[in-house]
Amino acid sequence: MANRWNFPDLGIGVGLRTAHYGAILSSWPAVDWFEILSENFLDSGGRPLWVLEQIAERYPVALHGVSLGIGNTDPLDRDYLRKLKALAARVRAHWVSDHLCWTGILGRNTHDLLPLPYTEATLRHTIARVRQASELLERPLVLENPSSYLEFATSAMPEWEFLARLAEEADCALLLDVNNVYVSAFNHSFDPNVYIDAIPADRVVQYHIAGHTDLGTHILDTHSDHALSAVWELYRRAWLRTGRAATLYEWDEDVPEFAVVHAEARKAAAYQLKPVEPAPPQEPAERLAERPARAAADVHGA
Amino acid sequence: MAPELQLARLQHFLHSVVVHGGTVDEAVAAAHPAVDADAVILPSRTLTASERLGIYHGMYLLRMEEALAADYPALQHFLGAAAFRALVKGYVKEHPSRSYSLNPLGRHLPEFVKVAPGRRRRAFCHELARLELAISEVFDEVELPPLSAAQIAAVPTAAWEEARLVPIAALRLLELSHNVNEYLRSVQLETHDHPPPRRRRAAWLLIYRRDYRVYRLQLRRPARDLFAALVAGVPLGQAIAAACAAPRAPSESELFRWFRDWVAGGVFHAVKLD
Repeated sequence: MANRWNFPDLGIGVGLRTAHYGAILSSWPAVDWFEILSENFLDSGGRPLWVLEQIAERYPVALHGVSLGIGNTDPLDRDYLRKLKALAARVRAHWVSDHLCWTGILGRNTHDLLPLPYTEATLRHTIARVRQASELLERPLVLENPSSYLEFATSAMPEWEFLARLAEEADCALLLDVNNVYVSAFNHSFDPNVYIDAIPADRVVQYHIAGHTDLGTHILDTHSDHALSAVWELYRRAWLRTGRAATLYEWDEDVPEFAVVHAEARKAAAYQLKPVEPAPPQEPAERLAERPARAAADVHGA
Repeated sequence: MAPELQLARLQHFLHSVVVHGGTVDEAVAAAHPAVDADAVILPSRTLTASERLGIYHGMYLLRMEEALAADYPALQHFLGAAAFRALVKGYVKEHPSRSYSLNPLGRHLPEFVKVAPGRRRRAFCHELARLELAISEVFDEVELPPLSAAQIAAVPTAAWEEARLVPIAALRLLELSHNVNEYLRSVQLETHDHPPPRRRRAAWLLIYRRDYRVYRLQLRRPARDLFAALVAGVPLGQAIAAACAAPRAPSESELFRWFRDWVAGGVFHAVKLD
């Protein structure tokens, strides 16, 4: 199934991290694509931007942000969106993504992806802002499901329902982070398969996979390790529903050498099973037996 | 209450808890607006509402510390982990991030270090922070191509006296009175004494970027005065005349060497002719 915007399946990519600049620039590894953290490049005129331009000349890239604050109650930061749009144009980004979350209030940024209460009011609020951001960016916004560590008593629907309704009503695309689904499922005691199965498949344009840290009482989304097989199985399950979509491995803490991250990302290929094509409808045997002889002859003579 | 206001009220509450410098229980007790956390946040099968809030609360300061340590590694090294964390806690309370990026978070740290209570060798720390801030700024500045040989050759000989040299953006000139540059270098090379010896001597440091690498060049007073005049837009002839009239006037060979080093270092971007 293709996504509804026909965003391309960029293949299996890796999140661009400073620690890997040297390895990438010296060997131009056979990576399908890179995702870059938008905020790291918006105001830098130095080496990071130069490196990004070198990479964007050779690989497809997509922008991934953490400061849009789509659920904030402050007005959207137009200056930020203007710079984001300019950066996307500069590096010919295939899409621009951020998270379903809020980040701060009264102009102050916690630089965290804080959870929202999933209420009708929050949904209306977020739909309006997604539409506004998409208009300002002049492209459909891609939103990622967050990992979270708390839930609100006022939430009236599960996150997957909120996300699905938001995507449909605001007409935005989705970045499905299967590790975040796993992390939140553990932290909030829900079945991750239910989440995966509820996501509108034709809106998923990208996947994230990562490792996490299990602290026993809760799981932190640290991007600090290899992904568990259970996370890969969620990816397999989701892929069966959505079909081809760009896939990216994130590794942000205790970052190993580039080859290790790339090898981990490449594991995704083994889980990319084709959706099972529905079998052609078969008529019951009694109906076939009742078919007139003429029809059968036509078939044979064709 | 209107739904939007309910969301804003909830965000005000959570924000005040997340950024609070005390324990999570102190943060909830001091939160504005006052909210019963147990009524707003559900417990999990393993954590109470307060413990779940504590995850976000605990990560905030760690994230701020990590960002500031990336820009101020030598200051962190000098102060030690505990004192640096205390500094960060006080700093982000007074100067919380107001940007989409963490890059400018430490912009006010040198001034904060100057007045923050309880710092040992405050003046040293202030200068070390100024130096590290200047390096960060130079790292991120807009790239401008350095003055080329062709640009220099294109200037008519008679025009040089009135010409003004335009510096690149990725350049800072610092006046220092402590041995912070030596300390920074020793921390980078892991050859430092700790604590560093107290040594005060006026020094001028030119920090600039060339080929995306940041360099530090120590200048003596006469060279510093000439360079400062040039980056301030004083015409070349007038700047050199002032340098030659100063008590420690440079020799012709010194002047030649300075200009050779500055141009080779790529610190000028253009020649402006009126």
